[in-house]
Amino acid sequence: MINVYELQDRNKRRSAVVIAAFIAFVVGVGWVFARLFDYGPGAIGIALIFAGLMSFASYWWSDKIILTLSNARPADRKRDFHFFTVTENLAMAAQIPLPKLYIVEDSAPNAFATGRDPQHAVVCATTGLLQKLDRSELEGVVAHEISHIKNYDTRLMSIVTILVGMITLLSDWFLRGARFGRGNKDKDEGNLGVILLLLGIFLALLSPLIAKLMQLALSRGREFLADSSAAMLTRYPEGLARALEKIAADREPLEAANKATAHLYIVNPLKNFHSGVGWFANLFNTHPPVEERIRILREMG
Amino acid sequence: MLIGIIVVLGVVILYVWSLYNQFVTIKTRIGASIQEIGNQLKRQTDLIPNLTATVKGYFKQEKEIFAMITEARKTVLEALKTTDAQKLIDAGEKMQQALAPIRALFESTPQLRSAEPTVKLMDELRDTADKVMYARRTLIDLTADYNIKIVTFPSNLVAKIFGFKPEPGLKTPTGGEHLEISSEELKTPKVGEGL
Repeated sequence: MINVYELQDRNKRRSAVVIAAFIAFVVGVGWVFARLFDYGPGAIGIALIFAGLMSFASYWWSDKIILTLSNARPADRKRDFHFFTVTENLAMAAQIPLPKLYIVEDSAPNAFATGRDPQHAVVCATTGLLQKLDRSELEGVVAHEISHIKNYDTRLMSIVTILVGMITLLSDWFLRGARFGRGNKDKDEGNLGVILLLLGIFLALLSPLIAKLMQLALSRGREFLADSSAAMLTRYPEGLARALEKIAADREPLEAANKATAHLYIVNPLKNFHSGVGWFANLFNTHPPVEERIRILREMG
Repeated sequence: MLIGIIVVLGVVILYVWSLYNQFVTIKTRIGASIQEIGNQLKRQTDLIPNLTATVKGYFKQEKEIFAMITEARKTVLEALKTTDAQKLIDAGEKMQQALAPIRALFESTPQLRSAEPTVKLMDELRDTADKVMYARRTLIDLTADYNIKIVTFPSNLVAKIFGFKPEPGLKTPTGGEHLEISSEELKTPKVGEGL
């Protein structure tokens, strides 16, 4: 049995490891890039500075960027009474400041949490979620998101999201560069050149996938933890279990998210807001099977 | 040698300092939870006149029910004059019981459930009850934390130096949790199985 504080520490440590891996990856790709196109060490420096600035900015403003992309409006105590007050209560119980609350107009029931720390946290819900769930079910969902914030899952996941986005961006650069680079094929590069070219193509094609797999591995385990912390917060696991059942049974696609992800994916590293600790249930591949989560919650109750 | 003594002394001072801050922080938070319970009960008493007005005419024994609510409201207002958490919780409990007929009426009357003002009032009422429940739980957790720190070594030494006393907290378990415990006990009567 691991307590909450150890869990938080572990998450903070993991964040550091992920950042280190990220920097190593950028340097590596930058080097391959520079060798292939004869850009010299200056290019690596530029890539590093650019990647550093990008990731720092997106880390710092992750909440704002994601909210702008998902077209969210701030929640209002009068209009979204249950969402607002339930979050107030759970934030008090979890002893974190009240997160900023946002609503996305979408009839598919879903929710996510993001933000670099509990002081800059955001909880966002769709109008569908607020309409379809009753207060105890909503309490379960919000408690799950609050647990992500309190356990620093949101920080880790925003970093991972940026990592995945940066890698996609770098691959895109490479593929573009390869197209332009065809002009000076006559230059003799020898074996190293061929290996680098193959490595470059390999990285360009596969690294987004590798990054995605890393992300999945990181995120799955935390869902169970967030579920059990949520049950501890509300002391009513049945609420979350019922909510999961309803969300899983709902077949409506999450339009707001899909459109945004589709056309922003190549341009902006943060477009992948699916993974700001995962839309609550839509991306079941980042989450353990919902039946299993429900079963475990029912066993607690 | 001298440096060693200075380092040890420095560590001890830092430790005492951080413990002192912890005690003060928990104490402030305990005060804040009690305050929150009070605030929510105050909100409840403000909601009640409007609520009784919207359900007027629905009950047969209206007089008794309303008299009980008025009585409970008086108890709450009385308790609000103190900062005694136990008194506040007990008064809030009495109020919840007095309001039970109204909740039952609301659940079983479609007319009321579609009436905007009544729904609003019932929502607000539910929220105050939830907030009291969470504040009470926070209070219990914090008090337990604080009292454990006061009796365990070495934080008990620091508590003694600065004169921190154990917090009274809440004596009796009330409401939902109390009921949950008893239903748990009923669920597992297999005493002899482990032998």
